[in-house]
Amino acid sequence: MATFKVLEQNNPRVDAWEKVTGRATYAGDVYLPGMLMCKTLGSARSHARIVSIDTSLAEALPGVRAVITGVDFPEIRFGSGALKDRYIMARDKVYYIGEPVAAVAAEDEITAEEAIGLIDVQYEDLEPVVDPLASLRAGSPSVHPDLENYEGYGFTIEGGNICTLLDADRGDVDQAFRDADHVFEDTFRSQGINQGFLEPMACVAHVEANGRLTIWASTQGPYQVRAQLASVLNMALSNIKVIPMELGGGFGDKLRLAFEAFPALLSMKTGSPVKLINNREEVFTQNGPRHPVTNYIKTGVNQDGTIVAREAYTIFDVGAYLGAGPNSGIGHGLGAYDIPNFRLRSYAAYTNKVYVGSYRASGVADMTFAVESHMDMIAHKLGMDPLDFRLKNAIKEGDIAVNGSRVPRNGLVECLTAIKEQLGLPKELPEGHGVGIALCEWRSGTGPSTAAISVNEDGTVSLLTGSVDISGSDTSLASIAAESLGIAMDQVIVAKRDTDLAPFTGPSGGSRIVYSQGKAVEMAAEDTRNKLLALAADRLGVPSDALACADGSVYVQDNPPQALTLGQLAAMSVTSRSGPIIGNASLSTLPYAPVFSAQAAEVEVDKDTGQVKLTRYVQCQDVGVAINPMAVEGQLEGGAVQGIGRALTEDMQFDPETGAVRNPSFASYLMPLALDLPELETLLVRVPSEDGPFGARAVAEPPGFGPPAAIANAIYDAVGVRIRELPLSGERVLAALRGEGNDIAYIGDELEELKRAEGLSV
Amino acid sequence: MNKQPLTMTVNGHERQILVAPYYSLLDTLRDELQLTGTKKGCDEGDCGACTVILNGKAVTSCLVLAMSARGAEVTTVEGLATPDALHPVQQAFIERGGLQCGYCTPGLIMAAVGLLEENPQPSAEEVKFAIGGNLCRCTGYTKVVEAILLAADRMASLG
Amino acid sequence: MLRFDFLEARNLRHAISLLERHGDESRVVAGSTDFLARWRQGFWRPAAVVNLKGIANLGRISYSPQNGLRLGALATVQSIESNAQVRRRYQALATGATSFAGVQVRNLATIGGNVCNASPAGDTLPALLAFDAQCTIAGPEGSRTLPLTELFLGPGRTALKQGEVLTQLTLPAPLPRTGSLYIKHSPRGAMDIATVGVASVVTLEEDGRTCRDARIALGAVGPTPFRATDAENLLKGQELTAGLLAQAAEAAEAAATPIDDVRGTAGYRKAMVEALTRRTLQYSLQMASGRAMPFEEQRRLAVQTAF
Ligand SMILES: Cc1cc2nc3c(=O)[nH]c(=O)nc-3n(C[C@H](O)[C@H](O)[C@H](O)COP(=O)(O)OP(=O)(O)OC[C@H]3O[C@@H](n4cnc5c(N)ncnc54)[C@H](O)[C@@H]3O)c2cc1C
Ligand code: FES
Ligand code: FES
Repeated sequence: MATFKVLEQNNPRVDAWEKVTGRATYAGDVYLPGMLMCKTLGSARSHARIVSIDTSLAEALPGVRAVITGVDFPEIRFGSGALKDRYIMARDKVYYIGEPVAAVAAEDEITAEEAIGLIDVQYEDLEPVVDPLASLRAGSPSVHPDLENYEGYGFTIEGGNICTLLDADRGDVDQAFRDADHVFEDTFRSQGINQGFLEPMACVAHVEANGRLTIWASTQGPYQVRAQLASVLNMALSNIKVIPMELGGGFGDKLRLAFEAFPALLSMKTGSPVKLINNREEVFTQNGPRHPVTNYIKTGVNQDGTIVAREAYTIFDVGAYLGAGPNSGIGHGLGAYDIPNFRLRSYAAYTNKVYVGSYRASGVADMTFAVESHMDMIAHKLGMDPLDFRLKNAIKEGDIAVNGSRVPRNGLVECLTAIKEQLGLPKELPEGHGVGIALCEWRSGTGPSTAAISVNEDGTVSLLTGSVDISGSDTSLASIAAESLGIAMDQVIVAKRDTDLAPFTGPSGGSRIVYSQGKAVEMAAEDTRNKLLALAADRLGVPSDALACADGSVYVQDNPPQALTLGQLAAMSVTSRSGPIIGNASLSTLPYAPVFSAQAAEVEVDKDTGQVKLTRYVQCQDVGVAINPMAVEGQLEGGAVQGIGRALTEDMQFDPETGAVRNPSFASYLMPLALDLPELETLLVRVPSEDGPFGARAVAEPPGFGPPAAIANAIYDAVGVRIRELPLSGERVLAALRGEGNDIAYIGDELEELKRAEGLSV
Repeated sequence: MNKQPLTMTVNGHERQILVAPYYSLLDTLRDELQLTGTKKGCDEGDCGACTVILNGKAVTSCLVLAMSARGAEVTTVEGLATPDALHPVQQAFIERGGLQCGYCTPGLIMAAVGLLEENPQPSAEEVKFAIGGNLCRCTGYTKVVEAILLAADRMASLG
Repeated sequence: MLRFDFLEARNLRHAISLLERHGDESRVVAGSTDFLARWRQGFWRPAAVVNLKGIANLGRISYSPQNGLRLGALATVQSIESNAQVRRRYQALATGATSFAGVQVRNLATIGGNVCNASPAGDTLPALLAFDAQCTIAGPEGSRTLPLTELFLGPGRTALKQGEVLTQLTLPAPLPRTGSLYIKHSPRGAMDIATVGVASVVTLEEDGRTCRDARIALGAVGPTPFRATDAENLLKGQELTAGLLAQAAEAAEAAATPIDDVRGTAGYRKAMVEALTRRTLQYSLQMASGRAMPFEEQRRLAVQTAF
């Protein structure tokens, strides 16, 4: 491993002091003089025509300054991607319970709430569509009957409620199944999941007298919010400034426009700043969670354990709008394995439920649960050790990944081996205890990234990027700059930015900040260093390749005392021919860099209650290089605990008649607490990536993928029952132990219909 | 239902304010006293982000009616550090990586302070029980527990 | 109207007169944990609240062999959980209290509030029932007492009349050779409403084997928490073999009439009654036979956390 001065060290976060003292400012902490409070009215119906909305009583309430409904916005549909399938506020129809139909600005929150209660909406009910599988069938009522006319609709298969199909194929999969020694097929179902960030959606909007709109936002994607806001308000992009405030968690749900348009329009109407903060129920019922996913998976395997064919069908319920696509899941139907023949399909179906958003690599956790449970089941049927079976089929350097890229060097095998050693696998555990593993894969995220670094006269540097800090990314970026420039961490000032100030960059999500944004910072630091060296060469009268940059100075390698500090160089640069020193960089994409993680769970199953206790959780991930081991471990631990919640207790439930969220609170949507967890064991493997900054890989997504399968596999090991549906609740485990069918419906009929529609033989 | 006068001691200073009778202690701290370090994650008592010390006990301030805190002593996250030094719990959270997005952090720190006032030498299990009312979605708690144990050790050795 | 007025009761008489004056439009608050949660959810919309918290001495906890345990209505769940006499003599109550919410809520929530809120899932209620608690109630017509079993009428409904306030709960002193435990079944180790809660109290005869008295109370499996008397009767006067405990557990299961909700189906809840009754009886029997069980261990059992 290369030696580093800043990287691979547990430096404190750059924002730690503000956060432990309560000084860090989140969007909800913004208080402006004369600020009004906004509240929204959510639809009481899941699918209905809006006959009328009477706001007169609300408007007459003292303290109310403005009331808006859907028709106050320009009649413009927008969407999260190409497909424009929704209005920012319901106009003529509502598509889910909770969908905003009106908003109020009042002098205080309680008045706004009272006003909301005075708004009278008359609905004419339409038949709701709740079950995504039923929605695929011919004759199902349609959520968006006009879908074909929506801008960006590019789908050709008939099928009322399907809005997207993603596919990937290789080889002759049908022939490979015919030739295989064994074929196994299974259906898995994962539950509705909420991102569970602690900071509810919040924003403050203020329109200046000159018409310029400022948004103090809780967002991962300030430029995306700016663009979508410009579109739904039909205003010039340049008239909007988004200031991303400290972010209290987003996990994908804050990548896009949420409700910023409501206070924005209310601010335009009233001339006052307007604040909107969701309450927790609104977070559950109005923001995009993830809906249950059905994954059908079929594998052809030879007697020696070689996998020869894979078919995977995913049915995603996207709710009322395509808030986030089924895209992430599709690429992962193979898992971390080399499979020569495959057919992978992801269908996205509309239903009358709250629309979905992104969540920490949406869809991959669901798919990993299916693939890694299925792998275990096959290993047991073949009489192979589950870990050996995985090793045998694991994807290697030089193989072609599902996305068509060549697989570069990586630490997959090292991760599996480390897990094996840490736990002493294979191992026998006492009665009622079991161990299970899961192998997870992901890729380092890319996308447009920019960075600029200027050198100050005291030798510090100022780092400017457009990316919002999530998961300590500012600290990582500062570390990369410090390492590149040979200065200490505390010599890097990370600028607070907004969309006016900082250059465009992609959103903070999909594990792209350290890999891609970090790369931009590394490149900007190189640019800065080159400029420092050139200036020093000029002033010291030596060629620049005789110089080195370390410990805050540029010095002559053969004669270190002959040196200029960065501060001196910065001061000199002001009057130099080339002017003050600023380095910058910009990039669009980086090559494919996979990320692998092996995980293992030990559980104890209570046979009387079915309750599963997690007694040990081990994960090992190839991180390339640990920019900051403490931060990397923190990411892995936090991610794993989200996955553990998904495995055991979290379950967004929907009313089967109306699609309403049945448990919209932290009291009933059960995220893990400290008490529910063993100390997590986190191991790092370091096989540097070819292109990431200093060899780093993305880290944040894979830890959350493994727990559902690892724990399901451990339950099987402990008590011999296989649970195919999440969460792995006491109730499900007990039913399985008692032989009461807990199995989920095989989706054969639906599959045949989908295949026929595509012209495949069934 | 006009605002009513309320006197309480917040972070060592006596404060006299006017408060709406239906206001929670949390809203009072944030809206009336501009102490925004205390966070609102749910307003239902379920997340612990709003934890403050009220008359020596850690409580969720969203479940306290402000008017019922008449004459009370309240400590918020803003009241822990001295001008010279952070509170040992704050310091340990920084050193051990006990925070990420930071939204749960003031509440977790106050829960830890409440614990250490009653039980200066807790076991890891006791720490987990003491923060059983605090949700954190980012850290996975392992480093939070480590930080609190480190703070306890340091405070014990300081006496 | 969402807004309400805040009325501070100076003493019990004042509280009762405020309640009489404001009638149906007013509501008592103590710890206000249930109140604020339900007000924000829109279930409760009083015009005024009458705050009891300022009334002196209404939160006292005392124990004597003659009078048993007296819990002032304002005693917080945390003060009960940490009380040495409660831990020593009323383990089921201590474990009920410790399994309750999280520290921050326990520091606010009062026992009177838990009782008057009359939730079928209230965590202190099975233990109070199993220890034969008596309520002392003050009202416009003076003071009266009522067995706790007669207080609960349905979910959120009690026998308290307009203007009445619960002031104290009295639990007789347990006989020697008594052990007890509450187990709360819920997916999480804290901050969770019980899917099922069971409290058992077992008292042995001097021979150390025969059951002198057994009391079992169930939570979250009926409209109110209640005593499983058929199960209790199977045990009284008998030697407590594993087989007999299992029979009692089945009888308890038969008495349960749970519903389906987001936390579990009725069928699962019934199965849990059986499992938890058996366990609470077993551990209570162990304690009654003289096996000391440290509070930490009881707590682990109560919230089913395996460290
Ligand atoms: C986040 C959260 C978690 C919770 N977790 C649990 C849990 O795990 N287990 C559990 O059992 N409960 C739980 N609860 C419910 C609640 O905390 C308890 O019921 C608590 O004991 C109520 O006490 P309080 O003093 O706060 O009551 P308040 O909210 O003040 O009052 C509750 C009700 O009782 C009435 N009342 C209160 N005192 C009296 C009195 N002396 N005389 C007459 N009427 C009175 C009030 O009018 C009101 O109707 C939880 C609540 C919240 C918000
Ligand atoms: S805001 Fe008070 S507990 Fe969540
Ligand atoms: S650090 Fe984000 S919720 Fe705890």
